[in-house]
Amino acid sequence: MSRQVKDNILNGITYLCAFLGVLFLGSILVYVLTNGLKLINWDLIKNDYWSQNYLVAVTDNEPKEFTCDSCNGYFSTKWGVSFTDEVTSHKENVITIEYIAPGSPFENLTSLTAGDMYGTTIPVDEGYMIEKLDYIDSQGNAAIGGKILKQDAKALQESLDDASEITSIYIQSPGEGIRGSLIATLYLILISLVISLPIGIASAIYLNEYADKSKMNRLIRQGIETLTGVPSIVYGLMGVSVLFPVTTVFGATGTSILLGGLTMAIILLPTIIRSVEEALIVVPQSLRDASLSLGATKSQTIFKVVLPCCMNGILTGVLLSIGRVIGESAALIYTMGTFISDNPVVNGPATSLSLMIWSFMSAEQPNFELACAISIIILAVVLVLNIIVKIVGKKLSKNFV
Amino acid sequence: MDTCFDVKNLNLYYGEKQALKNINIDLYKNKVTAFIGPSGCGKSTFLRCLNRMNDLIENCRIEGTILKDGVNIYEPKTDVVELRTKVGMVFQKPNPFPMSIYENIVYGPKCHGLKNKAELNQIVEKSLKQAALWDEVHDRLHESALGLSGGQQQRLCIARAIAMQPEVILMDEPTSALDPIATSKIEELIESLKKDYTIIIVTHSMQQASRVSDYTAFFLLGDMVEYDTTSIIFQNPKDKRTEDYITGRFG
Repeated sequence: MSRQVKDNILNGITYLCAFLGVLFLGSILVYVLTNGLKLINWDLIKNDYWSQNYLVAVTDNEPKEFTCDSCNGYFSTKWGVSFTDEVTSHKENVITIEYIAPGSPFENLTSLTAGDMYGTTIPVDEGYMIEKLDYIDSQGNAAIGGKILKQDAKALQESLDDASEITSIYIQSPGEGIRGSLIATLYLILISLVISLPIGIASAIYLNEYADKSKMNRLIRQGIETLTGVPSIVYGLMGVSVLFPVTTVFGATGTSILLGGLTMAIILLPTIIRSVEEALIVVPQSLRDASLSLGATKSQTIFKVVLPCCMNGILTGVLLSIGRVIGESAALIYTMGTFISDNPVVNGPATSLSLMIWSFMSAEQPNFELACAISIIILAVVLVLNIIVKIVGKKLSKNFV
Repeated sequence: MDTCFDVKNLNLYYGEKQALKNINIDLYKNKVTAFIGPSGCGKSTFLRCLNRMNDLIENCRIEGTILKDGVNIYEPKTDVVELRTKVGMVFQKPNPFPMSIYENIVYGPKCHGLKNKAELNQIVEKSLKQAALWDEVHDRLHESALGLSGGQQQRLCIARAIAMQPEVILMDEPTSALDPIATSKIEELIESLKKDYTIIIVTHSMQQASRVSDYTAFFLLGDMVEYDTTSIIFQNPKDKRTEDYITGRFG
């Protein structure tokens, strides 16, 4: 076979492999985008996951005349409220409030639930869902309407226009948002980085700058390399058994973001040590010599000359770590938990975005659309964080020229 | 004449291999001393003994004494950091820090705890002027030192060493990576620095040694063959090997 033919075959293989890589990446992106994009909106990002249910009464129980120019839904002229039909991300049909006219009785709803809440005003807004409506119709008979009777928005509006008096409304706040999990994910990234970055950088400095070639140090290095290969679920197990007592000091009673963060920090260590060490190796020995010959101590040399030169390696470590934390699920099932919390606290249970996908997909009816929508948000978060880290990195290395 | 270093019976080993064999030499204050010899003869190794930069090399073992001001610098209680502030060094390849020109100069003083801005500014100006670099860079002190030419970078490294106010400046083939014009500038600089500092220079170029130095030591295979004033070494060497080397018969 001539040399040229061999060359062409080898070139062809590299082109083909590169093309395949792009193809796989592209098809994942296309799949996720086509399935999930229609669910992406601000409500998904800013809403709570869990809906709150309220039984409320109107304070101003008097039908009047209202108008609405810009309503697309079904507008009740007597009560000044407009409804639309919507399908939630869990494929449920609901009737949501589209618009409340100024001065409408719906602007001022008070709780009928017995207890502390009784009589307090419930801030009902657009997006709330009507479950059930108890009212007195124009003939003076008690009647009910709403989703509970499988009514749609049009039927509910007709019922309402027929009402002379509203007895009670069973109302639900909008839910199925991922705000809580988004915040929990950011907490998780922050906690794991704050813990593992200093330890990782310091270990890399030790291994590369201080450690001699003793057996002990070779063992440490070997140990760190082995850590990279340990399945993350094993780390999760270790987190539960070893790290849980640590988190109880901070008030955790079960799974918590803190426990997840600690576990992730250990998972991240080898990655960070590796990338910082690789950067340290590249720093020319001549710079260390120059610093030492000027009468700088070893630690001054390391912190003033060597480490600033490693900024890129440290950034690479941070970026890889962010990706790892966002993508991790197995190690977090036991440690952080799968309970979706709308107001996550560091020492309480919460779930990360990736775990949310796992939960939705392992439910009885896998919810592909919602999983894809969350995937898109994960990709967006990774992108935004990467850009932020790059900008910060540029700022930091500018000080150093 | 005042001596700066008294070296007595110095032996140096890299593992099993002996790199310096029983060196005895007195290096004089405020003179330029050149070390010449073929590659691998131990002249750079010896230079690095004088500020204990060989400490950084694993398996390096040193016997004998180097007296500086009557004190052996290889005594266990010697403060190496203190020694290196008195004995500065310029390396073969220009190695400015990847910082601004200003930061490069103030690095040493800052490491020793000097914080006063006015004082630092003064040091920068004085060192750059002494290194004949001030006119070229005074309007861009806060730009990266890596943007300078090779010759300018090497003079910056000299200025950086001067900023520490050392007694001795060791130069390890400081012009081997530079072009002839930059080289002649460095040589002029060495001439002008002589009155304030003791300069010890390792060089491959015999012309350079004869141009800039007052004393010359010839090294061969770890031995110091001959040490005398430069004029005697180059015009009337006592040892046959020295004569062979400077007339270009080997090396």
